[in-house]
Amino acid sequence: MRSRGRLALLALVAVTVAGARPAAAYDFTVGLRTIGQGYQVRRFAADGSNELLSRRRLTQYMDLAVFDLAPSRWRGDDGDRNVLYFDASLRFDSDFGGYMLGRPTGTDEIHELKQSQLDILYAFLGGRNVGGRVDFMLGRQIHFDLVDFFAYDGGAALVHVTRNFAVEAYGGTEVRGELPLSAPIYELDGTSAGSRDPATRADQNSMLRPLAGGAVVAGSDAGPLMARLAYRRVWSATADQQIGEPDSGVNDEKLALTALATWRNRAYVAGGARFNLLLGEFDDEQLLVKLRTFARQWVTLEHAYLAPTFDGDSIWNVFAAGAYRDLRAVYEVGIGPEVKTYARGFIRFFTASGQAGGGSLGAVWRRGRGFLRADGYWEDGYGGRKVGVDASARLGIRRAFEIEGRLTGYEWRADATGDAARSPNDAGVVFGAQAGGRWQLGRGVKLHLLAEDNVGTFYSSAFRGLAVVEVDASL
Amino acid sequence: MKRLATALIVAAAATAGGALAAATGTTTPSALIYPAETIPIAFDHAQHARLGATCEGCHVSAQTSTAAADNLIPREAACRSCHKIDRDLPAKAVAHGQGAARCDACHVDAAGNRWMPGGAGAAVEPPRVVLARPNLKFNHKLHAARGIACALCHANADMQQAPVTRVDLPMMATCLGCHDGKQATARCSACHLTEPDGRLKTKLLSVATIAAGADGPLVPSGSLRGIDAHGPTFVRDHSVAGREERYCLTCHKRNDCIDCHGGVVRPPDIHPADYVSLHAVDARRNVPDCSACHRTQSFCVGCHQRTGVGADPEGGLPGRRANNPFGTGTGVKTFHPPGWARDAGGAPITTPRPNSHALAAQRNIRACASCHREESCLACHSADPTRGPTFSPHGPGFGGTARCRFLAARNKRVCLKCHQVGAPELTCD
Repeated sequence: MRSRGRLALLALVAVTVAGARPAAAYDFTVGLRTIGQGYQVRRFAADGSNELLSRRRLTQYMDLAVFDLAPSRWRGDDGDRNVLYFDASLRFDSDFGGYMLGRPTGTDEIHELKQSQLDILYAFLGGRNVGGRVDFMLGRQIHFDLVDFFAYDGGAALVHVTRNFAVEAYGGTEVRGELPLSAPIYELDGTSAGSRDPATRADQNSMLRPLAGGAVVAGSDAGPLMARLAYRRVWSATADQQIGEPDSGVNDEKLALTALATWRNRAYVAGGARFNLLLGEFDDEQLLVKLRTFARQWVTLEHAYLAPTFDGDSIWNVFAAGAYRDLRAVYEVGIGPEVKTYARGFIRFFTASGQAGGGSLGAVWRRGRGFLRADGYWEDGYGGRKVGVDASARLGIRRAFEIEGRLTGYEWRADATGDAARSPNDAGVVFGAQAGGRWQLGRGVKLHLLAEDNVGTFYSSAFRGLAVVEVDASL
Repeated sequence: MKRLATALIVAAAATAGGALAAATGTTTPSALIYPAETIPIAFDHAQHARLGATCEGCHVSAQTSTAAADNLIPREAACRSCHKIDRDLPAKAVAHGQGAARCDACHVDAAGNRWMPGGAGAAVEPPRVVLARPNLKFNHKLHAARGIACALCHANADMQQAPVTRVDLPMMATCLGCHDGKQATARCSACHLTEPDGRLKTKLLSVATIAAGADGPLVPSGSLRGIDAHGPTFVRDHSVAGREERYCLTCHKRNDCIDCHGGVVRPPDIHPADYVSLHAVDARRNVPDCSACHRTQSFCVGCHQRTGVGADPEGGLPGRRANNPFGTGTGVKTFHPPGWARDAGGAPITTPRPNSHALAAQRNIRACASCHREESCLACHSADPTRGPTFSPHGPGFGGTARCRFLAARNKRVCLKCHQVGAPELTCD
């Protein structure tokens, strides 16, 4: 059934693309990015001491976008009507090095440690301003709003009913790591397909999860008021259903409202609230007030409330009784066009008990392609303490060459065990240095090299190397 | 003495505030939009306006211009209607009350000195006007046809005693006075340059923009929404601004989000060097929100198991577990303090204590989920007595709560992980 649906989708994409010919000219953009990383991770050795484990990763992104699929005679006078395009991103990620050596296999395999993975992050046919009213996407897509980040295979359509009112609807199936060519990065958290206890019903993770949702949007980007009310529901049939068990269950159901109001280019109020219909309570609330006190001065005051919630199949929805509430303030001052400074503070109140808080100060000086940045921070309370400084810089040497560097130092003390004497691994000092360069090797071809070495309480050297080759081509 | 100190503090604060306000109180157009230019002309707009000159009288081509790159500075021919210029007589004298005709009445050199041909060190030709192409779309003709007066955008130009330069050109806030989605389109691409895919062009660096002091890609100043201002804390604090993808995707590709939110490279502005050592502090209090980028049940659990911190007895590293100081079993030490889940004798604790796991789970259960799978909890909290202790995780009166009713109505499968089918407690009474 699933493969039939996918075939139908592929056929639809193929027919639509083929049917769009002849176009005046297609615009292609091809992006290739190869990221190689080698670094060392601290691990607890058999004798209780620390040892460094080498980790090597190779990640390849392949992006393809094709624009102007529709014939040019379809386009309106403004050139922005009836735009059809295809956009796709593939990622191959592989893990090597000592980190992966000797990993358990067979029945002891660690499910979360897949060595290589090829994912289609998104691949969809899109339409913009079709008939002057409709935007649509068909295929694998990623979205983000107050409901959450989420990825699904299916279709979405946004209809601009009036200039300041739009209605959106979408449906499909959730993208899950258990499916082929699918990344788990945006699936709901709380259940693990690697669980071996039959009571956790790990087989439920492989079930297809239909998804449906929609939104209404009022206002425009430049108007004084804008609001969006969105709804999403994800459900799944029960795997290996037994007598007395429900034939399906809801994995996620949320209603979210976000709003933004502006006043005379000086005051802005933004906020949102998300009601979790799975649990019958609000699990995310935000209210932010931002004031421009002078031309280059901003004051931001923010209140946030967040209650951890999980996949509807996770027992942690029952255990997660607590939440936290934050108060944050940021003051940003631009001194002339090149220098920006800030002071930032927050305090977090846990509803169960306990607090955490801290602050940071920093300044950035930018000129041309170069910058110099310095930051200092301090946090304490539940979780532990950390105090640190960070200085970074980038300098354009020639038109196609930049050098960069960073110095970092921090001290931390985690309260993981609540007993530093028992757990000396819970506190330490780290100093790190980075140096690297960025070369523009040719039109659309860039190379970024970075080396980092850290020295700290637990080791005299931990190296990290990064190499990124990026190719962007437009045809 | 106290009063004096107070007065001094107030005075110092007022001075510092005033200085700060002065330093931060004005803004000029982005050099990325209006790059560097050279206008070696001495010109008094106010004087010409007093004499009855009109905008369109001199800037004739403005009425028909359809591109922002058009040079709308009047050429010499436009001046000649009042200034009887004779190129063969650079120092031509005119009667009092008539428009000056000397070269140096209008032309200045790079240093701002009046220019005359043949002057000491002067170039043969007068310094030329050099305008860089603005990184913007603008159709003067369209605006003029709608009856929009010049002064609506170029306010006070007619009172200026100097040429209008890039710093005097209208900024976005002026445009938004009409482009509000009602009177005129609010589409960003109506004015901003776009890539082939319709996103705004943000990489606008060129020789001209760099010469004008432009500092990298085009980013929102905050004029439109405030919360979109890409200040020094934006990377860390964009959770509210980032809730509306359509707006972000005006400039960004979806991959820009994925790079951090589900990416594979540590973003240095969020995580400092050797973040592995530090991350436990942040993860326990969830600042920054780990779940914004990482899925605990794959990203965190996988790494923790590999590095010997995980709690999976089957999936943990074979051969190391017996001595693993951070294992939960028979190691030389245990990760959690005594009384966390079991007492000194190894028996499960029956009453939560200040350092027991219940409080940590209530504060931030995501931290627990970064090492544990559900079976860790089921070991003691299932209602199935054959598994072990049956400590209920539900607070008193849970059956009467909305959470119980909503959860049971939408997904009873989760209840059946601990409770038997048909158990009386499944009714939420």
